[in-house]
Amino acid sequence: MSKGEVIISVDKVVKRWGSFTALNEVSVSFKEGEVVCIIGPSGSGKSTLLRTINRLEEHDGGRIVVDGIELDGDTRHIDAVRAEVGMVFQSFNLFTHMTVLDNITLAPRRVRKWPREQAEKVARELLERVGLLAHAHKYPSQLSGGQQQRVAIARALAMQPKVMLFDEPTSALDPEMVNEVLLVMRDLAKSGMTMLVVTHEMGFAREVADRVIFFDGGRIVEEGDPAQFFTRPAHPRAQAFLSQIKHAG
Amino acid sequence: MTSRLKDRDALVLVGSVLSLGVVLWLMSAPLAHLPAPIGPAAQQFSEGARVTIQLTLVSAVFGLLLGVLGALGKLSAVAPVRWLADLFVWVIRGTPLLLQILFFYLALPAVLPGVQLSEFWTAVVALSLNVGAYNAEVIRAGINAVPSGQVEAARSLGLSRFNTFRDITFPQAVRISLPPLANNLVALLKDSSLAYAIGVVELSMVSSRVQAESFQPVPVFLTVAAIYLVLTTTFTQFAGALERKLAVGKR
Repeated sequence: MSKGEVIISVDKVVKRWGSFTALNEVSVSFKEGEVVCIIGPSGSGKSTLLRTINRLEEHDGGRIVVDGIELDGDTRHIDAVRAEVGMVFQSFNLFTHMTVLDNITLAPRRVRKWPREQAEKVARELLERVGLLAHAHKYPSQLSGGQQQRVAIARALAMQPKVMLFDEPTSALDPEMVNEVLLVMRDLAKSGMTMLVVTHEMGFAREVADRVIFFDGGRIVEEGDPAQFFTRPAHPRAQAFLSQIKHAG
Repeated sequence: MTSRLKDRDALVLVGSVLSLGVVLWLMSAPLAHLPAPIGPAAQQFSEGARVTIQLTLVSAVFGLLLGVLGALGKLSAVAPVRWLADLFVWVIRGTPLLLQILFFYLALPAVLPGVQLSEFWTAVVALSLNVGAYNAEVIRAGINAVPSGQVEAARSLGLSRFNTFRDITFPQAVRISLPPLANNLVALLKDSSLAYAIGVVELSMVSSRVQAESFQPVPVFLTVAAIYLVLTTTFTQFAGALERKLAVGKR
């Protein structure tokens, strides 16, 4: 699959929590339209990488450039990047005091300054796409976990981002709801969206990803084609991790 | 079912405001029918109740503003602002309200000779600061109770700090804070009786005067207690209905 220009470049990025180094000079780049799955044991730095890319965490060293904008201390740069980068969280993080429709229209109205009618029109199209149009006027607490996560995806897409970050989007879901969320993500990948997905869903990674990145101890220890990674991982840590997952499954 | 519940809450909201009005303006009529010592003093009782409610509502409004400012101060990233807010809450909550009222009445004119406040407004200043300090703690806790994930989600969508506070944090913090704020309001209503110490003719002062004239403490104090109960019940009913009306998104 041929992909476009580099849209995110991460160069020797360091992130520390006190004496713990979460990211240890990580360098990686992502191309437009690429779907990359990031896997690895917990605490290995994979979520931290996602969170530094839209500056939910500030990196302590190195450079991150998203769509030509460098994430430095400048708030305008940070806001500009966040408007281009959608994020989906493990725990959905819907605004519980707002209806589904208001959850989706808030950011386009406030940040993009769209009039309410335009924002609602786009929101309804997105709800149709994730199969939840009938639930537009419900509150998050009236929805199942899988439905909430699909709303969260629609909410991020409403800003028409160039990149979507998924931070373990199915880890907090009951098993029977995982598929409905993965289906939406599959469709999104097919539509050509650039996606960075931190996940433990190896089936999804194998089938949808263009590239798999394996994290361990704050570093990328293996990176490559999913078919090859899942059948013949090169690094011993990756071999051990995959065999653990197979045993658990 | 749900809509009928909401309708009942709306009814309680309107009803409690109306009954407060009734207490304020029409209370003296039924009281006047009671035998002495209550009947002849009906006008005084209703005047006292009116002053009590005025003290309470005016101080409640200022106290709410001070509470929001105090809470934001306590959560400020600027250390001196945080210290100032902490100092305010520490001093006010750590000293008796009666002392605060006497301080503003007797000590303030000595410290600031130009400032001349009536007894009523002196009481308002002291009560506002007092309830404001308690409100600050309540509102701070409410702001902290809004899940940080929602703030992250808002920021990740590109919302500014201000918009995130206005659209996400503040509305939910208000909802969380409402029951303890209502508690503070009821406490304020009762605490307003301490304005008696500096000669504000509110409900407790009236009861003391009527008792002193009639030498019949039992009917006088029972009447005043009943009036306080009507007022506090009205406030709690109003707060309860408001809480249910705002509790959207909760199952």
